[in-house]
Amino acid sequence: MGRAFDPSLIVDFIPTLIYYLGVTLKILAASVLLGMVIGIAAAILRLFRIPALNQIVILYISFIRGTPILIQLFLVFYGLPAILIFINIDISRMDALYFVIITYALSNGAHFAEIFRGAIKAVDYGQTEAAYSVGMNNSQSFFRIVLPQAIRIAFPNIANSIIGSLKDTSLAFTIGVMDMMGRGETLIAATAHALEVYLSLAVIYYAVVLLFEKIFRLYENRINRHQTVDVSVTG
Amino acid sequence: MTIDIPFIWTAFKEIIRALPITLILTILPLLAGFIIGLTVALIRIYKVKFLSRVANGYVSFFRGTPIIMHIMLIYFGFPLLIDQISKKFDLGIQSNSIPIILFVLTALSLSAGAYLSEIFRSGIISVSNGQMEAAYSVGMNSFQAMTRIVLPQAIAQSIPNFTNIFIGFLHTSSIAFVVSQKEMTGAANIVASTNLKFLESFIAAGLIYWGLTIIAEGLSFLIEKKATAYNRGGVQ
Repeated sequence: MGRAFDPSLIVDFIPTLIYYLGVTLKILAASVLLGMVIGIAAAILRLFRIPALNQIVILYISFIRGTPILIQLFLVFYGLPAILIFINIDISRMDALYFVIITYALSNGAHFAEIFRGAIKAVDYGQTEAAYSVGMNNSQSFFRIVLPQAIRIAFPNIANSIIGSLKDTSLAFTIGVMDMMGRGETLIAATAHALEVYLSLAVIYYAVVLLFEKIFRLYENRINRHQTVDVSVTG
Repeated sequence: MTIDIPFIWTAFKEIIRALPITLILTILPLLAGFIIGLTVALIRIYKVKFLSRVANGYVSFFRGTPIIMHIMLIYFGFPLLIDQISKKFDLGIQSNSIPIILFVLTALSLSAGAYLSEIFRSGIISVSNGQMEAAYSVGMNSFQAMTRIVLPQAIAQSIPNFTNIFIGFLHTSSIAFVVSQKEMTGAANIVASTNLKFLESFIAAGLIYWGLTIIAEGLSFLIEKKATAYNRGGVQ
């Protein structure tokens, strides 16, 4: 071991660690897409107050918002195999990556459900009435008129949620996933330069977050292009 | 693998003993963050020269990196820094005599400050400028108008956001277990690995966090009703 703190190592570590960015992004993409499906389904169950399922969704959202993601990660990691063994499915040897994706998908689903519900309610009911008046049926008016407007309203919150989720993936290493953080841990074990590794990781996360913010802002401007200025306050 | 239901209760009693540390790791950073956040928000609103650039960089960096990074950077970085300074000035302070919890508290306070500053900023901006003008018209100076008129309204406006941050940091404190702090998640981890009952222990920990969250949401609702009592709508 050389000097106690060697800044040149930060530059050396970045290429090694960025190689594992793919795993982080894979977790993010899979859990956001699955989360969207769960979120939209949960929001619809709540909006139409489907008996029994509505209560289950309320409980699910409350639980996810009421517990740390770390605890959720452990619960899925230890709990899912224990539940599935009852129906004779053994997943105890499944790659930890899938447990992480399932956890983050469930977590994203709960947050997306609330975002979508708020956004759909924010669309004026007059829009649905107008759609009926030109002869659309229920699903046409929902998918062609209400949903596109709701997505526009929900977008900034969804973008925030995705960035939050990206940062949350840094906890996946606690159940042994080889993402950027996991690789960082092995680098520390090999080189004993913890601070430099974490600085490199911070640089990478920060760069990715800034990039995401940029992309989301561009996209937000795009979906707001038909709006008059007073509605879309973008900076 | 079966689930040992009675053990959940045993684990529950064991884990809840770590509640005070969890609360310390939640409340102290938020109090420190309150001061940092308010200062940073005012610097950014009044666009103080140079300082506002530093403040922008601070908020952007802390919101742009995972909180576990802040804990790790300070946990590994501060001891090096303290030892260097100590050696240079011959202070005789040794970094390994400083309890780890102080590093964790520093890291969490800095994160809390960044998140809270955004809440203050939006809260202060949401109070209409007419309020400031009205305060001037009755002879208040800028400082009085800010502390007596604008800030109370801004804080009342921000209560739902404060609740979110409180709950967020209650949950974030669980990360402290990765630097072996014995808060609730750390305690759950110990109970789990000594008894080899992982699922039951984390169910117990999950229930405690969930209960705390529900209590916090209830309290926030009551406080919000009280704090926005001035804003009854009434005659319009």
